[in-house]
Amino acid sequence: MCPIYVPNYFDENLSARKCIDIAFAQAVPAISNIERDSCVECFACVDACDNESIDFSQQDEIIELEVGTIIIATGWDLYQGDDYGYGIYDNVITQVQLERIIAPNGPTLGHLKRPSDGERPKRILFINCVGSRSLKTHEYCSVVCCNLSIKNSKLIKSEYPDSEIMVCYIDIRAGGKMYEEYYRRARNQGILFVKGMVGDIQEDPETKNLIVKLEPVGTDTIIEKEFDMVILSSASLPSKGTDEIAKVMNLEKTPDGFLKEAHPRLDPISTKTPGIYIAGSCQAQKSIDLTVSQAKGAASEASIPMKNEEYIIELIRAQPNDERCAKCYKCVEACPYGAISINGKNLIEVDIISCRGCGICESLCPSKAIELAHYKDNQYDAFIDALLPIAE
Amino acid sequence: MAGTIRAQYPTAYRIIIVPCTGRVGADLVMRAFGRGSDGVLIVG
Repeated sequence: MCPIYVPNYFDENLSARKCIDIAFAQAVPAISNIERDSCVECFACVDACDNESIDFSQQDEIIELEVGTIIIATGWDLYQGDDYGYGIYDNVITQVQLERIIAPNGPTLGHLKRPSDGERPKRILFINCVGSRSLKTHEYCSVVCCNLSIKNSKLIKSEYPDSEIMVCYIDIRAGGKMYEEYYRRARNQGILFVKGMVGDIQEDPETKNLIVKLEPVGTDTIIEKEFDMVILSSASLPSKGTDEIAKVMNLEKTPDGFLKEAHPRLDPISTKTPGIYIAGSCQAQKSIDLTVSQAKGAASEASIPMKNEEYIIELIRAQPNDERCAKCYKCVEACPYGAISINGKNLIEVDIISCRGCGICESLCPSKAIELAHYKDNQYDAFIDALLPIAE
Repeated sequence: MAGTIRAQYPTAYRIIIVPCTGRVGADLVMRAFGRGSDGVLIVG
């Protein structure tokens, strides 16, 4: 009924969808939603719905919930720089767009077609590490792209054996269960893996084919080759809003911008904020199997304090001394965990669950009215005195 | 850190463990100077 078509974000904007639509086939809950920015309010959908389910008076609302634990699984976003002519040349697409093109429910119903003319591309180039493993963009490895290139090139080669497929890489990282074997099978199938990055890419204005120059590592020759389609393994970035979540929940981030775990090896699921756990790519980019493992781990870990209804804290906690407190409230402002609050008597109160025992409040307090258990000033004084004896 | 990477450091160093560098205030630093140390390195 709806007369308005909008780009389908689920298909990476390669197809159109109605302005009122179920986001994608497996959406939970499977409820239609309206893109209000594009809606012209013709109300054709309201007239068409026999169940009178469409309510245009609905507004966005903020729902407050009281919860025991939180698992953050906000995922990742795709790097979309203009490297290798992405966004300029029609036939340069990302792996995520290719995933939609070859998906049976995608914009082309699973038939491999290139964006410029809808023809089947026969010569395909995959470029790995776009925006990753480079000091100019992102230093980290995006982990999943090597296997994604292997998988998609294998799929295309199996479906269309006359395809010529080349994969350019810096290193192939096919670690993990059965991945190296998968990589070998891809090579045996006739997919050409070339170590070396593309130096130049130009579009032929007539055919929209791409002319690529690259120098394979260990040779002194520059290969110039024409391709029908180029697929970029673009980097994964921390999802939009990660900074905001980190701020609201008092979480730390690693230098790459992903959320920081309590310990990189021994506790990769918990965060330093009690009751908050992380799963999946918000912590670091990872494959589906590792994401599932981490998610299950996070669910189990979160269930422990909820089932026991208790949370074990360390004894190193800030302890206020009401008699000494001059009520300057410097500690309230300084506490990075928001653990110190002002109570009804204008005195300070420490939430011993939020307190992480860092001691910033103690070093800052002008009246020495707040102390960290086991790390008190007089203990340190004695410590320093003992270490630095004054010679008689 | 120095211990984990097996780094060597002069024997005149005295190490005081703190829960967080935020715990180190001017008073502790001054006390160390007052007791004759030539420098205080706050490492976190």
